[in-house]
Amino acid sequence: MFTPEDMSKVLVVAPKDQIEAVVKKLYSLNLFHIEDYVEQEEEEYEGYKIGMPLPQGSDTSRDLLKLRAVTNAIAVQGDGVSPRGRIESSRLKSQIEQDLPSIEKEVEALLERRSKLEAEAKEIEQLIDSLEPFADVPVDLDLLRGYENLAVFAGFISAKPELDVPHEELTAASRSGSLLILWVPAEHRNVVERKLLDTQFQAVPIPDESGMAQDRVHYYKGKLSDVEKEIEDVNHSLDNLKGKHQEFLLACDELLTAEVEMAEAPLRFATTENAFLAEGWIPSEDVHKFIEGMSVATGGSAYATELDIDMEKDTVPVEYDNLNFAQPTEFLMDIYSRPKYTEIDPTLMVSIIFPIFFGLILGDVCYGLLVLALALGLRKIITGDEGRMLLKILRNAGIASIIFGFLFSEFLGFPIPGVDPLLPNRHLAIGHAGGHGPAVPELMMMTVWIGILHITLGRIFGIVNHARQDHGKHRTLAVLANFGWLLVMYGILVAILSMFALPLMPDLTGWPVVAAGLTLPAFIGLGMLILGVLFIVRDSALEIVELPTILSHVLSYARIVGVGLSSVAIAGVVNFIAIGMFIEPQLEHFTAFGVVIIIVGVVVFLVGHIFNTILGMLGGGLQSMRLHYVEFFTKFYKGGGKKYNPFGMIKKFSED
Amino acid sequence: MADMTLEMVQASQLGMKALGAGLAVGLTGIATGIAEMSIGSAAVGATAENKDIFGLALLFTVIPETIVIFGLVVALLLLF
Repeated sequence: MFTPEDMSKVLVVAPKDQIEAVVKKLYSLNLFHIEDYVEQEEEEYEGYKIGMPLPQGSDTSRDLLKLRAVTNAIAVQGDGVSPRGRIESSRLKSQIEQDLPSIEKEVEALLERRSKLEAEAKEIEQLIDSLEPFADVPVDLDLLRGYENLAVFAGFISAKPELDVPHEELTAASRSGSLLILWVPAEHRNVVERKLLDTQFQAVPIPDESGMAQDRVHYYKGKLSDVEKEIEDVNHSLDNLKGKHQEFLLACDELLTAEVEMAEAPLRFATTENAFLAEGWIPSEDVHKFIEGMSVATGGSAYATELDIDMEKDTVPVEYDNLNFAQPTEFLMDIYSRPKYTEIDPTLMVSIIFPIFFGLILGDVCYGLLVLALALGLRKIITGDEGRMLLKILRNAGIASIIFGFLFSEFLGFPIPGVDPLLPNRHLAIGHAGGHGPAVPELMMMTVWIGILHITLGRIFGIVNHARQDHGKHRTLAVLANFGWLLVMYGILVAILSMFALPLMPDLTGWPVVAAGLTLPAFIGLGMLILGVLFIVRDSALEIVELPTILSHVLSYARIVGVGLSSVAIAGVVNFIAIGMFIEPQLEHFTAFGVVIIIVGVVVFLVGHIFNTILGMLGGGLQSMRLHYVEFFTKFYKGGGKKYNPFGMIKKFSED
Repeated sequence: MADMTLEMVQASQLGMKALGAGLAVGLTGIATGIAEMSIGSAAVGATAENKDIFGLALLFTVIPETIVIFGLVVALLLLF
């Protein structure tokens, strides 16, 4: 529960002619995390070489590549598809040879047609673009070109140029500015060109068309819509193809991927002239099954055995081993970092404490129900593994919110009638004079306690981790240093309590003064503090600079109150604006216009509370996660474990 | 000042408290924001390069948050 699953290191040795049988068996067992063989110069590695892929590998990869091209083109995705039934591998193989080429051809033909049509559409669009400036020119386009002794200029101008050569001109307003068309004798071309340049003339190419520009634009627009319709038809038939063959294509993909992976597996083995060795990891509970399976699959010619683990050299892959309840939280752990094999796996603690923090922040029955409804409702839409895990975390958080909503007696920011808050009151007096405000000192002390307990737990885990992982003198020092941090924290607490009486804390102020104006508890606290610092310094003197974090980390839990109160405050403000300012005054003097105002009030109420729920989910989730990642994990957790990734695949669409 | 009644003095004291609390949270919030700005952008860049360091990157990013937490604590103590 608090440790990852036990792993065993196994070695498989077999003659080279058994390599295919072994690989197949390994793949179907889906247990063996292959330790890649790396060629090294050392003596003990002499004579070993990296293996060669199985012979059918390259053909299969080529098939897979082609298939992927097709599936990408029609956007087939495995995530959203739940298979109706699984296709048998042998049948699938013959289908791949028979049906797949025809499907591929069909898709390719459609794709080719689509790209041709798209090119055509682009061309037409360009033509329309070039014609558009001339749309309001009342002259036939033929008259704009094809002269021997005349030069024609067309372009946009901001001001009309003064020309002292004989010319004919025409101006037309168009969407992009005013268009000027100039006919000048060919011999004056250069003069006019220079003049036009001076007046910021933007030349427009004269389209190679005949007839009125407006008619041509109209004609091409019609043509464009025809082409677009054809593209639509092609897309539609691609969609049809997708609907018809999706499952088959996914099954093919799965089968071919498996075959390619199998074919390439020998690249990760060490081989000699006549034999090969595969080293890897499997969960300890499966060792017997594995060794037996290897021997059966090869008729006794493969030899599999368990090896000793060398904790210094080996990186053991890590697979979580958690209760069902805690499994979704593995997602939050993986975001940070997977635990190392020798380390405590805190997933269970996080899975319990995360919802509690979330509930303490967003403790409101209605908001909790909304979060719960969201988590349950999204289950249909989000189907990926990680998404599911996140939804389960959200569901637990929602349930915690409801429970804490009762403990705080909150429903949309209102107190629940008849339910007295068991926890310190969080209700704010917004919009009403008087009333009992929130019990902030009590709330603050509550979070200080939460912080102290959470950090204590972290330090205890730290002690266990060091006791497990370290050796010799360093182990004692590291354990004592962790204990020292606890001593300093509690020492400061006792010393403060001996001077000030605080709510929710034991009162130590009444003790008689012993010496120097300090009481016995004060001396005990100071003693703990000094002893703790000594322990810390013995392990590492530099850690002294971290001492202030004791205070800041404990106080950091005040964010639970801060964020929580702000969410209650927003709820209170929404209620006051919607009910106090919009709805209530209208209900007193009922008018027709009042009804509109009441509706506005209801809208404000709904939008405000939905907004606040989203904010609360973000705030509650992120802040609780942060308290784990920063305040909790820094006390003991290193992470950086390698993920256990067994060789094999869980087949969804095909079966052997 | 002679014409100030006790109620007025008390009211203005309340107002000063509220102002102080607001300043405490607001200024520390700005300070935290400025401090987290450059750390955050570097952290996002680093995480994009290598996802494994997300934990460490987050840790660095939130270090300045201590400032605003102290501000919040001071504000809450002032108000209540």
